[in-house]
Order: sequence, then structure tokens, then C-alpha cells
Amino acid sequence: MSLRQIIILITVALAVMVVLPGLGRYGAYIVYVVAIASIGALALNLLIGYCGQISFCHGGLLGVGAYAAGNIGNAGQDMVVALVGAGIVTAFVSVMIGLPALRLRGLYFAISTLAAQFILEYLFRLIEPWTHGVSGLLIQPAPFFGLDLSNDRGYAAIAVGLLVMSLIAVSRLLRTDLGRRFILIRDSEIVARGMGVNVARTKLWAFAISGFLAGMSGGLLAFTSRIAAPEAFEIALSVDYVAMIIVGGLGSLPGAVIGAGFVVLLPEVAQRIGETFGAATQTAALREMVFGLLIILFLIHEPRGLNSLASRAVRRLRRTSGPLSNNKRSSASDLEMTQARL
Amino acid sequence: MFVLQLAVAGIAIGSVYALIALGIVLIYKCSGVVNFAQGGYAMLGAFITYGLTSVGLPSVIALVLAIAVMGGLGALTQILVLRPMLKAPVVAVMMATLGILITFRAVCLLIWGPDQIGFPALFPIGAIELSGIFMTYNYIAAFLLSAILCAGFLAFYHYTPIGLMQRCTADNTRAALAVGIHVSNQVTIAWTASAMLAGLGGALLASLNGLSLGLSNIGLVAFPVIVLGGMTSLPGAVVAGLVLGILQAVTDGVLTPAIERFLREHTDIYSVGTLQQVIPYALLVLVLLVRPQGIFGTKESERV
Repeated sequence: MSLRQIIILITVALAVMVVLPGLGRYGAYIVYVVAIASIGALALNLLIGYCGQISFCHGGLLGVGAYAAGNIGNAGQDMVVALVGAGIVTAFVSVMIGLPALRLRGLYFAISTLAAQFILEYLFRLIEPWTHGVSGLLIQPAPFFGLDLSNDRGYAAIAVGLLVMSLIAVSRLLRTDLGRRFILIRDSEIVARGMGVNVARTKLWAFAISGFLAGMSGGLLAFTSRIAAPEAFEIALSVDYVAMIIVGGLGSLPGAVIGAGFVVLLPEVAQRIGETFGAATQTAALREMVFGLLIILFLIHEPRGLNSLASRAVRRLRRTSGPLSNNKRSSASDLEMTQARL
Repeated sequence: MFVLQLAVAGIAIGSVYALIALGIVLIYKCSGVVNFAQGGYAMLGAFITYGLTSVGLPSVIALVLAIAVMGGLGALTQILVLRPMLKAPVVAVMMATLGILITFRAVCLLIWGPDQIGFPALFPIGAIELSGIFMTYNYIAAFLLSAILCAGFLAFYHYTPIGLMQRCTADNTRAALAVGIHVSNQVTIAWTASAMLAGLGGALLASLNGLSLGLSNIGLVAFPVIVLGGMTSLPGAVVAGLVLGILQAVTDGVLTPAIERFLREHTDIYSVGTLQQVIPYALLVLVLLVRPQGIFGTKESERV
């Protein structure tokens, strides 16, 4: 991400903040739900899209973040402390889950994360002093830097702010030595080893950073929904997040945001349409069906994600307006395309 | 004696696990695709059997018809969804099978609703006693049917021309193409067989435990089974299915009460919850750490 892009990003974020008061409660709700999901998707994209470690326990990690933030917040701490604390706790759990990745590759690791997801779900129900079991942990509103921001607009501002910070941080990270090593490991572990990369340590860093972001996202989720209950962090949520980054585009930063928006807003829209037709069960079923079918159709036609669709559209526009700018642009997105391949 | 009684139940359930896991291994061997939708096929097979019996068909005919429908559906999904995705990244293909699972669940929710349904008896009700161990006809039939089908399927895979072409495709896709095997059709056959196995497995499970949307989770329980067996070993899947079935039954009947008794005496925790549901996954992680290729699997060498 160049300086220009960062400036654009910050401008967009400021614009969102300025429009926020005019959006109404529902609008603000949509903004923060998408922003929180985007942070989670960004974390997962770092792990899957950039470091090549397929994970199906992201929902469980968000849960760890939610419970950690809830407990710290309920102990009377500031929301900032709670979010950072949740990030650290989740990073630790994420590294634990990543340990098998030092010995396992690809599919086998993916299945071991599936196991981690079920073990986490089980623990959420079991460790009652921290999680309050099946009934769920109620979370008190906490001040943010001493300010009372516990309303929809406040949450939206916090979430958008954190999303921008995460986007900038991850894009910077990808330009460092460590970020380059992530991509090398994704492309070929053997080559990485041959070039003297400490594969084990690098992978664990990917798990730690991804876990930290996931923990913050889960923490925000907990504060905004005021409850952390086990059924909110089941395998279905992990599947949703994998769907987000594939729909948005693997190994693409804007893709994480686009995918999160798509996956979060689609049920919201389907719900609205369904409510005009019939009962709750039918609405839920129709929503799921639309989601499933759209994912399949989408993957058949655009397996590289919405982001590649967008960059192709941009390229086509540039080609018709001016052939000179075309060359540089297309080689850049070709590089993105090869990077997107796992 | 109690443990033996549990083992009987475990073997019956485990043989159904094996049946469902076989399908996943078959598809993986032949096309490298991990089918997360297998539980969806099992669930749909059970629901279709139920739907046909509620129309008035005898249960056995309903079961056979449902399995035929599942076979067609398996072939159809392969042709419509998997064929166009030949060149897509692995994760995208995994996700597509998850999309199939979500769609199937939604269809069943729409037609049959979210509640537990009493499944029609496929087999006569009753039990036989063998030196103190009771075996209901349900369990015996589930075990025998699964055992016969597993054996029949392995025989088919090893002794028929189509089986030979399947093994050839699984072994080396390029070589298979070179000797004139229509690889895409072989993959379609694998999906058909896999969906039929899953449909039967689903109906058997429903006849043991009742029918609800939760049946689709069986597809995820099948993953510890196939990983323990080694992703590419068909006999491995059968053995691992039986082992996990027994392990779950023993955990539920012996281990959980013992641990809870111990915890009640020494701490103030009263319950360890549904331990039998996580035990396969805990075992899975342990086995993977010690032997990453599974117990019966062969080590894949990686090329640059």
C-alpha cells in the first residue's frame, strides 16, 4: 500500500465518520458489523491468503477474543485495555493451534484446525467461571479512553478506526522481511527452507499476528453485542470467514473488506426480502439457500474473488481511456493474480 | 460385560462412520478434492427416505429409491459444480463443497423444518441376547449392511474394470489420461458412489438416532476417521471408523462418568459436557502430531 493509498483510505474513513451521525442507528449498525467482520477477515486472509495455512477455526478464535475482552471489560478496565488484552490472549491461543502446522502441511493442517474449532467450542461450554457456559457471558459497556462511546455510532467510529489501523499495519507488515517470508512459505515451503528462512518461527509469527487481529475483532464483537455465547462461535462462523476471504479474494487486502461486506450484508438483505414473504423458519432457510447457492455460483465463475473482478474492470476501463497506463497496471495485477494462487 | 455392551453399539455406529468416510476417501483419491458436503448427502439421503415413506412407500423400497436419487444428485453436483472448478485454488474448491452443504441444509430446513423427526423403522423392532449382551435388530442390521457394502465396495474397487480405472485415475491422473481413461467421467463415478454410500449411511444413522438437521454434522465426524485411517487408504477408513465408534461409546458410557465422579470428589466441577463429541478430535490432533500421514497412510513426498 503506497502513501497515496493510505491517504485515500484515511480520507474514506474520515468521510464515513462524518456521515455517521446522519446514518441513523441501523446505518451505524451496518457500518460497525461490516468493519468488525473486515478486521476478522483481514486476520484470516493474512493466515490463509498470505501465509498459505488453511484454517477452519477462525470462529473459535473470535470467540476466545470475545470472552477475553468480556472478562477484562467486566473487571472494570477500559475498552482499549480489554481489546489489546483480548488480542494478546487470542494470539497465544492461535500460536497453540499453529503448533501442529510445524509438522503438518496443507490439508492435514486444515483438518487439525477443524479439530481445534470443536475443542474450542467444547471448552466455551465447559469452562464456566470464564464463559458462563451455555447461557453466555453478559458484558457491561466499557469506556473507550475514558469516553462513553457505548452506542451504535460510537461503536461504528471505533470499528472503522481500528479497521483502518489494521489495514495500514498489515500492508506495512507485508512489505517487511517477515511479510515477504510469509508469502514465500505460501508459495513453496521447500524453497523457503532452502533460502534459509526459519519456517517454524515464521509460521508461528503469522499465527500470532493473525490471532491478535482476530482477538480484537472478537472483542469488538463482544462489546457491541453485549453477550458472548458459545453458539455464536461455532463452525458455521469459521465457514463464513473462509467464505469472506475467498469471495473477496485470497491474498488481497481490499478483498477482505469486500468479502466481509458481501457475506455480512447478503443475509441482511435476504432477511429483509424474506420477512415480506413468510415465517421465521422459511426466512432462515431461504437466507441460507441464497447464501449457499451464491457462494457456489460465485466460486464457479470467479474463483479468484471479487477483488480480481474489480481490478479487471478497472483495467478494461483504463484500456478504453488510455492505452499508455495499461501496461504497468496489468503487470501489477498479474502479479496479484499469481500471488492469489495457493 | 457393560463395556462389551457399549462396544456392540460402538461397532454399529462405527461401521456407519466407515461407510460415510469411504465416500470422502474415494473422491479425495481420485480428484484431490476434500468433500465437506458428505454429511449433507447423508442428511439428504435420510430425509428423502423419510419423505418417501411418509408418502406411503414401504421403508425398504423408499431406502433403495433414496439411494438411487442420491447417486444421481452426486453425479449432478460433480458435473455442475466441480467440473467447472478444475483449475480453481484448493481452498476455493473446499469452500464450494461447503456451499453445497449449506444449500442442502437450507433445502431440508425449508421442507422438513428444524425439529427432530421420528424415523420410520427400517428393520423389525426387537433384540437378541447373546450371553448377557443385548443386540437390537437395528444395530445388527446397520452393522451387517455397512459391512457388506464396505466389503462389496472394496471388491468392486479392486476386481472390476471400472474399479481398475478408478485406481488408475487415483494413482496418476496424467498416466490415466494417456492410456485413454476419461478422467472426468471417473470422477463423476466416484461422486455418484460416494453420495450413494453417504445416503445409505445417513438413513442407517437416522434409524439408530433419529433424524434432524444435526445429522449433517456426521460429515465432520468423518474427518477424524479418514485422517486417522490415512487420507488415501480405503481399508484404513473402515478400521478407523470402527475404532472411533467404539471409542465414542466407551467414552460416553465409562470414561465420562468416571472423570465426573473424580472431579466431583476433588473439585467443584460437576460435568464435563459431551466429552464423546470432542474425543475423536483430540485423538486426531495427537495422532497427527506423532504420525502426520495417519496410521495407514503413505507419506507424500513434496516436489518443488
